[in-house]
Amino acid sequence: MNTSNLYDAILTGNLAMAIEITKQEITHNTDPQFIINEYMMKAMEEIGSRFEAGKAFVPELLMAARAMKGSLNLIKPLLNGKPNATTMGTIIIGTVKGDLHDIGKNLVASMLEGCGFTVINLGVDISSEKFVNAVKGNKASIVCMSALLTTTMPYMQTVIDALQEAGLRQNVKIMIGGAPVNKKFADKIGADGYSDNANAAVTLARTLIV
Amino acid sequence: MNKKLQRIHSALSTPKTDDGRIYFHPILMMHASFQFGETYTNLMTNYKVLVEANMKCLELYDNDAVSVISDPYRETSAFGATVIFNGNNSPACEKLITCMDDVIRLKNPNIYQCERTLDRINGVHYFRQLLGNKFPIIGWIEGPLAEAADISGVSETLINIIIEPDLIKRLTQKCLTTGKDFALAQIVAGANIIGVGDAICSQISTEMYNEFCLPLHQELFDFIHQNGGLVKLHICGNITHLLPSLSKAGVDILDCDWMVDMGEAHRIMGPEVMMCGNLDPVSVILEGNREIIRNKFEEAKNSLPIENWILMGGCEIPMYTPINNIKYLREISLKK
Repeated sequence: MNTSNLYDAILTGNLAMAIEITKQEITHNTDPQFIINEYMMKAMEEIGSRFEAGKAFVPELLMAARAMKGSLNLIKPLLNGKPNATTMGTIIIGTVKGDLHDIGKNLVASMLEGCGFTVINLGVDISSEKFVNAVKGNKASIVCMSALLTTTMPYMQTVIDALQEAGLRQNVKIMIGGAPVNKKFADKIGADGYSDNANAAVTLARTLIV
Repeated sequence: MNKKLQRIHSALSTPKTDDGRIYFHPILMMHASFQFGETYTNLMTNYKVLVEANMKCLELYDNDAVSVISDPYRETSAFGATVIFNGNNSPACEKLITCMDDVIRLKNPNIYQCERTLDRINGVHYFRQLLGNKFPIIGWIEGPLAEAADISGVSETLINIIIEPDLIKRLTQKCLTTGKDFALAQIVAGANIIGVGDAICSQISTEMYNEFCLPLHQELFDFIHQNGGLVKLHICGNITHLLPSLSKAGVDILDCDWMVDMGEAHRIMGPEVMMCGNLDPVSVILEGNREIIRNKFEEAKNSLPIENWILMGGCEIPMYTPINNIKYLREISLKK
């Protein structure tokens, strides 16, 4: 089966087709990393671009992410322990303590995963201790924090301070996002970057990973 | 001024309107609770705190309307969901719907018999007691798609629009029924404007809005009009792509968030609609200095006719916004 159909299946959010094509390719011993790099990542980049251009909206993005994850879940076990398995880096992502908003954060997590990062999604209402422990336990390269309220975004500073105190700040880059967040705030708290949409978050993560 | 706009102005007028001031309608929830020395939870759960906190803000800011807006989970609670409150944080809410069977079983509540919806109705009534007849009171309901998302989850709703459209259509019909009941109860209690919050609409395409929301909005807004109320539609986020469709919905007042071009929105919505907005609540109203606030105020003011404009932040005023920033907005919106 032509794996370019996998690109279309993910782009159009067709979970069943994405799974079927991936199973066929596994049966035919297609290199799983090739599938990720050439079809999954490119499909997610395309839907991300369309979203940024206002030609796709959140439902289409969610459907594409769902199809991508269906495919990725089949491929992941084949990557474990493989010497040529590559990840662009490990990212810890979460919505900060006191804040329960997650859809934007989940979209960013899906885009990052679809574009080749290993993503640990901590969820919502996440304390600084949990961020610190996740960085330690996963040797993360990037920490992404989300907040949707002006009352919760100051907690991002608390997380950065906790990483500093744990001796981890110099080992990770910090990215932030969320409706009330802006570059001025990112600079003020010492974050390494800010993005206002999922596609821009992927671009930023790629530049921060050295 | 056209007749429809005259009717809207008549509902918006206060005893101070004749001195040529620009209507100023800030959205006050967390900020009101903070100014009143109460938690956001107390504002959401006790109508007396909500009303008295807003009355304190009215003294401080001399705004031109009050509202019972508080949080998105009044109707959701009435449907039977457990709402978890947590101090000054946003509340969390249980999801009731996971499949079509849940939708079929879902019963529309009696909003007078549910604590949270009755609390808001009492809030409208209390406002009217305190303010008398000549001051705009904005009641508040969840739009049908927003309520569907409150009941079943935002991501789930957005995915189900594509994979289970019938579930969404049945669910939003039930949400519409309760929305109408709640709107009517607030009009009866004394609200002359009904605010409809349907934030999730900004996250879907025009085609999806036309299929899943527009007919319901038209029906809801007609119902509100038939019962003597005006409609104020609030969709957080960028609604530019929806404007041509929104112009057919029957809106009287359209809230525009900061990223929308107010001039363009006015041109599309037409001369019979009041445009409400749209200074950035964070970078301008919370964080801005007088120069920034003034510049953005002038930009909005010059983008459309004054008679079609209500000054507001694009969305809720943040909790810790400096009093003087809001007072300054009031000061510069008084016609000298």
